[in-house]
Amino acid sequence: MEMVPESEIQDEVILKQQREIEKEVAEIHPLIGNIQPLTCLLKEYMDDPIYTNKLTKLADVYRSLRRVRPDGNCFFRGFGFSYFEKLLDNEEEWKKFQAIVMGTKDQLISQGFPKFTLEDFFDSFMEVVNRLGGEGKMDAEELSRIFNDAGTSDYLVVYLRLVTSGQLQKEEDFYQNFLEGGKSMREFCQQEVEPMYRESDHMHAIALGSALKVGIRVVYLDRGEITTSPPEHDFPEDCTPSVYLLYRPGHYDILYK
Amino acid sequence: MAGSALRRLMAEYKQLTLNPPEGIVAGPINEENFFDWECLIVGPDGTCFEGGVFPAKLTFPTDYPLSPPKMQFTCEMFHPNIYSDGRVCISILHAPGDDPLGYESSAERWSPVQSVEKILLSVISMLAEPNDESGANIDAAKMWRENRAEFDRIATRIVRKSLNIPL
Repeated sequence: MEMVPESEIQDEVILKQQREIEKEVAEIHPLIGNIQPLTCLLKEYMDDPIYTNKLTKLADVYRSLRRVRPDGNCFFRGFGFSYFEKLLDNEEEWKKFQAIVMGTKDQLISQGFPKFTLEDFFDSFMEVVNRLGGEGKMDAEELSRIFNDAGTSDYLVVYLRLVTSGQLQKEEDFYQNFLEGGKSMREFCQQEVEPMYRESDHMHAIALGSALKVGIRVVYLDRGEITTSPPEHDFPEDCTPSVYLLYRPGHYDILYK
Repeated sequence: MAGSALRRLMAEYKQLTLNPPEGIVAGPINEENFFDWECLIVGPDGTCFEGGVFPAKLTFPTDYPLSPPKMQFTCEMFHPNIYSDGRVCISILHAPGDDPLGYESSAERWSPVQSVEKILLSVISMLAEPNDESGANIDAAKMWRENRAEFDRIATRIVRKSLNIPL
């Protein structure tokens, strides 16, 4: 029998290493952590005056934070948990959200998403949404348990990714201005939005926020200018934020006022 | 995690049984284990693989459909995108970023909305139109490009072999 080409053996080695790193990350970080005081971050940056200064300013506005596993899905998982947690305390908004989510399924099917596989994710998503209010309402502890159960949690992430992809393609004329490198929107969505573990940026946030009519405020913490408070951006622009996320290069966590 | 995978695989099996696409039969080898499937693929009409019936196995990961399955023909095959041990190498079986053979950026990748049916239809297209840019079998890719008559002759032999017709 012919030898397996060397390039392929190398790919397998790289993939195996990648899986091992992912496994390590999974062992250290729960998918969604417990609430911690924001000042817990100060310990991480003790020797770093820029971060320390910025965090001190940030702590005037935001009391606490919840860490999200850094696996490339943190934007979607953090968004989902934070907003669902909010809906547990707001029956009226929950009802509106239920209707919005119901509408997303037909919208996505009309855009050409395969009905059969789409429904698999929609049904799982809706099952959780339906229990954020009304008679069978879950409590915050159960929400946290659901988001830490990889099977369910990842399905929720997939559906949010599909909604984001649908919105980007529906409003392609607007979003294509953000695209780099000559990719078509369909290619971008297939490669950077729909698959698990691909990281998110502004474009994902605007699209997801617009599709689900949820305002997202992202606070940026990096090594930029030292004098200012960490900059904040709302997605979509001019929204009333419902979800607050802390962005450090490559990663999102949930913030609380 | 395996719970959602199992549910999805059972649903896909049912779907494939109720509405089988032309030229494809697929299902679990043993209904006790939904993570190992076997399938039969009919060589598409008007191609050198026309009429052949090719058996293959599909192996699903426990986090399916977040990750794609692997596919391997269990009969003799000779094709630019099939390794000599039968493993199929096409873009839809790979998530973006895990990129063994540098597919074109526009090639369709695995994503959780893809399905077994979509994979098998892609494999049928692959039989009809090999991609000689990403050669899993370099000899086959070279022959496909440079000596089509010889390639067709080998394909015909493989088709006959798959049907148990004396060579």
